[in-house]
Amino acid sequence: MLPTPLTEDLDFEKVYEPAEDSFLLLDVFEKEKPWLESYKWSSDVPLVVEIGTGSGVVTTFVNQHIIPQGLFLATDLNPHCCNAVLNTHKSNIGKKGNLQVLQCDLTTPLKRNQVDVLIFNPPYVPSETVPEIADPDSEDWLDIALLGGPTGMDITQKVLDSLYDTLSRNGVAYILFCARNHPQKVMDNFKAKEAQRGNEWEIECVQHRKAGWEVLTVWRFIRR
Amino acid sequence: MKFLTTNFVRCAIKSCDGAVNSFPLKYSEIELVQEEQDFQPEFILGILPRLDWPAVLKVAADLGNTSLPSQLPELDISDPSNEILLKDLHTLLIETQLVQGKMICENCNHVYHIKDSIPNFLLPPHLAN
Repeated sequence: MLPTPLTEDLDFEKVYEPAEDSFLLLDVFEKEKPWLESYKWSSDVPLVVEIGTGSGVVTTFVNQHIIPQGLFLATDLNPHCCNAVLNTHKSNIGKKGNLQVLQCDLTTPLKRNQVDVLIFNPPYVPSETVPEIADPDSEDWLDIALLGGPTGMDITQKVLDSLYDTLSRNGVAYILFCARNHPQKVMDNFKAKEAQRGNEWEIECVQHRKAGWEVLTVWRFIRR
Repeated sequence: MKFLTTNFVRCAIKSCDGAVNSFPLKYSEIELVQEEQDFQPEFILGILPRLDWPAVLKVAADLGNTSLPSQLPELDISDPSNEILLKDLHTLLIETQLVQGKMICENCNHVYHIKDSIPNFLLPPHLAN
């Protein structure tokens, strides 16, 4: 088993603390390692982007153990997370690896069709509303990391709607869902919509786990 | 923010998506710091084909560096004479950090800020997508 990156000096009242969902993604990448190692990227240096990187454990893990040759971009709305990601990456990887942090919403400042690997552990918990972006001193940051609207899909749906334009040809996305998001229904809708646009995908559930009262799944999307 | 990152980001406003002037952003009043990183020639060689070289030249010029070759030469890792250029590119792309300053979209004139090395692309609500 590959070691989990250490996080140091993080304020878990402002930065989402690695939990079952984060660890599930680490397990996914450990399982996917042989597949990813033999995958033919369009570039010798694949661009790996994690949306809503939080503490940075997932990105750091993937850079350290799975795609060491990649260029990594981490995005987060939360300025505390932007600093946390840099610290977590630096304290585990040092001067190796290539990670950059962008403070932004999802992938809005990225040029189209350049992401080779996209990772997203979304705010998937169903809630009445999605919280507004808070000011840096706010105490709502953890809600922003968690809450996703009535079926928990408000934010994830935005990412799915632009996924084809975000990924490069043969780019791969890993996105986490909980059972209350009705992932199978989401996939059926996604496939129908994308087929209408003439976009081809290979979609597979690569991980399934009961975590406390939640049932979590991770889905792999390959853009053809 | 590493110099390299300037080659991957454009204006975050939806109506600027695809506009020629929204990439690269214009870099202004930039404070630079050199931060030492391990030299990985394979990484530099691997990243070069995916770079928009004219954008590299334009951002370098914003920062006062006009000494780059106008065309990217063919590089071969087994040729030792390439090592100097690869090291120079490593210094520019990986070790040059934009610590403070402004990033301006030349399509819509929106100004983004870099603070403590982190570029901020968050938009005020009326411009958010």
